[in-house]
Amino acid sequence: MSGIKRIAVTAVAVGVLAAGCGGGDEPIGGASSNPSSSTSSGGSTGQFKKGGTVTIANVGGQTWPCQFNPFNPAVNQQALGFVYEPLTFVNVLKSGATTPMLATAFSWSPTKDSIVFTIRSGVKWSDGQPFSADDVVYTFNLMKQQPALDLYSLWTGAGLTSVTAAGDKVTLKFKAPAEPYFFNFANQVGIVPKHIWSTGDAAAKPATWPNTKPVGTGAFTVGSCTSNNISYVANGSYWQPGKPYLEKVQYPAYLDNNPANLDLASGKAQWGGQYIPNIDNFYKSKSPENNYWFPPTANVAIIPNLDPSHKVTSNLAVRQAIAYALDREQISKIGESGYQPAANQTGVVTPTFDKYFDKDALTAAGYDKPNPDKAKQLLESAGYSSSNPLKLSVITVTGYTDWDASLAVVKQQLAKVGIELSIQDLQQQSYNQKLFTGDYDLAYSSLSGGPTPYYELRQLLYSKNSAPIGTQASSNYSRYIKPEVDKLFDQYASADPDTQVKLIKQISGYMIKDVPIIPTTESVDWYQYNTKDLEGWPTQEDPYAQPAPYNIPDVGQVLTNLYSKSAQK
Amino acid sequence: MRFLIRRLGFFVLTLWAAMTLNFFIPRMMPGSPEEALRERFSKSGSVVSPEQLRTVLAEFGFDPDKNIILQYTEYLKAMVTGHWGVSIGSSLGAPVTTLIGDALPWTVGLVGIATVLAFVLGTLIGTIAGWRRGGLMDGVVPPVFIITSALPYFWVALVFISLFAIGSNPILPNDFNYEQGLTPGFNPPFIGSVLKHGILPAGTILITAIGGWILTMRNNMVTTLAEDYVRMARAKGIPNRRIMFGYAGRNAFLPNLSGFAMSLGFVISGTILVEYVFNYPGLGYMFYNATVSTDYPLLQALFLLVTLAVLICVLLCDFAVFLLDPRARTKG
Repeated sequence: MSGIKRIAVTAVAVGVLAAGCGGGDEPIGGASSNPSSSTSSGGSTGQFKKGGTVTIANVGGQTWPCQFNPFNPAVNQQALGFVYEPLTFVNVLKSGATTPMLATAFSWSPTKDSIVFTIRSGVKWSDGQPFSADDVVYTFNLMKQQPALDLYSLWTGAGLTSVTAAGDKVTLKFKAPAEPYFFNFANQVGIVPKHIWSTGDAAAKPATWPNTKPVGTGAFTVGSCTSNNISYVANGSYWQPGKPYLEKVQYPAYLDNNPANLDLASGKAQWGGQYIPNIDNFYKSKSPENNYWFPPTANVAIIPNLDPSHKVTSNLAVRQAIAYALDREQISKIGESGYQPAANQTGVVTPTFDKYFDKDALTAAGYDKPNPDKAKQLLESAGYSSSNPLKLSVITVTGYTDWDASLAVVKQQLAKVGIELSIQDLQQQSYNQKLFTGDYDLAYSSLSGGPTPYYELRQLLYSKNSAPIGTQASSNYSRYIKPEVDKLFDQYASADPDTQVKLIKQISGYMIKDVPIIPTTESVDWYQYNTKDLEGWPTQEDPYAQPAPYNIPDVGQVLTNLYSKSAQK
Repeated sequence: MRFLIRRLGFFVLTLWAAMTLNFFIPRMMPGSPEEALRERFSKSGSVVSPEQLRTVLAEFGFDPDKNIILQYTEYLKAMVTGHWGVSIGSSLGAPVTTLIGDALPWTVGLVGIATVLAFVLGTLIGTIAGWRRGGLMDGVVPPVFIITSALPYFWVALVFISLFAIGSNPILPNDFNYEQGLTPGFNPPFIGSVLKHGILPAGTILITAIGGWILTMRNNMVTTLAEDYVRMARAKGIPNRRIMFGYAGRNAFLPNLSGFAMSLGFVISGTILVEYVFNYPGLGYMFYNATVSTDYPLLQALFLLVTLAVLICVLLCDFAVFLLDPRARTKG
């Protein structure tokens, strides 16, 4: 049962379907101070009457601890977006297009090593105190004093050196060009009120402070919380006039997929972030108002171990043979019921990031369609034959039924070219341990991405994200180490948008040449929505935010756009 | 008296042994709190470096590099003094006592009542069936419940849900312990809602647990009825009802009692699958979750509770046998 949770776990965070939607490659400093301007469904402010409730069905796998510390990774999904807001919202579904939130505008220095935010005036904390640039500075400096709060390692990894305020301007200075970190510091950090976090327990132990009654600038505040359910109520003094339209948000603590899926199908819950097997039959057919949309986000891939101690998988010919042998369309169709589209060897998720996708290079290398003959040749050249077959094993997680199905297809396809694949289902903990420390030949895995392919590829291929066998790698599990590729990633930070596209294509070139990972399908955001009473949902036509309730801070965008049809009468 | 003292000594020794195992076994599981947190955190979007997660966990008091013997002695002290710490798993930072305090009443209420009910009803039915062996009741009731007790209870739960809780306006709710939005407390809507939400899960436990009690009680009854003292009682013309309960029933009941004590103790560990299927936020689910997220402090506290509950129930049962059975008294 719990296997299905994984999909929600891995699917996360990422960019999607926005192909062709507006040229938002370079984050645009907001000329407009009205955040709803980037959404078409939200429309102008004060357009809808207030009222209505949305109930979220998203398996958190825990009863609520009723803590809302936005720096605590276990609870920030219930705090960010609801109560706490970022400076600027970055929409990964629209190539990183920005929506001004607590900052009305921002501008980079020419070398992109410092950025100035103009802080919005007239915003109030939910306890009535005015919000100011001081709060922003305090939030970032708190993360410096307390490294445990600095989840994205802004001060240690991204090279942040100072955050200062002058009037309504806040300046962040970095050691080096820092544009790729904009996504983290502008979008993922929730600003907290200085007047609360600088006194008492909050100041003494900010990392562990429970923050049971959160005070934020967001559209909702916590009305009541039990271990069963969080009930958010509209923030009456919210700074976006007329918003939020909804009066209440109910967030029950679902422990398992079955009850959550049942409640979504019956309409008891209207907003889901669930993997529902056989969704057309189980969910869609139950009501014409039940809808779903799965925007693709990152890759699901076979990760080979490239460390020289693993003789077989560190052999390029073997990896190429696997990549040629795979029929990814078939894996998508049979293994993932078509919910997850087929991936490609460049590692660029399509159609989300189409403009970074180098189709010609893919075709030139012959990876655009399966080529079992080429795979056989490669295996022969590597010394394998029917009398000396290549035997490999791949690790996966017990209970991830869709992965099992996909791997069964992979196994068949590889058998045709003479590779005997054995599938090792491991319990989550053992799987993680093996994957992180490099104790495997092949691993089936998926990662999260970001507003451009840079984020996912850097995690997978940047040498600093690797580690020697036996110690935990942070995300480069295949142990791919190539100084040329590192250099391309380093150049990306200060490059202009056109060059960034070129750099990604060059990196894709290495994906094709070295086959450091072998993508099979594209992981998606799981998202169900019911339109019986509620409208304003993100859709494929209007992807104004990542749609799943577990996407933070995107959840805040969705919540300020939803309105109740019955309240309009 | 020596009997009681010996029992108490045994209680303390077992408790210490169990607590030692509770400390070491979770730490021998594969995985670590770091990896579990990393897995969970990837959910909200960004990949966080292992060093950063270690820093976060250190804030919450998790220090894997500390000497294991030192950790063990601190653990023993903390367990005894009730300083159970904070969760380092999925409820990172929540005090273990609050977590358990929230879940305990629901499990004890649901599983406890269902277990007691199953035992009382099962024993009663078993007594009557054994008394009138070969009768209509003996022919029908025990076989039926033996079949139901062989059914896996998550399956019974799913059948119940599809019978009673499917559709847009179901007869009974399929999940949670009470309707969202009600204020917990002594008010009629809340109590009504709790009862309504308890029917299906409690029914599931009852149906699957009762068969065992019926069967053992009936068989004990049949054996006991052949004893001389029962014949003696009949010869003396004692009313049937008194023979059934006071003579045969009382003696047939003894072997069942220790089984009941054990099952009462295990109430604490909940019935994971029932809580899972009905999304009932009790200890069973918490147990599962703490294991998956390698949450040592929560696991230790839960194990301690289960150990204590089983041991105390067994101890009480020993005392009860001491009172009920004169032979235990004279031997002691």
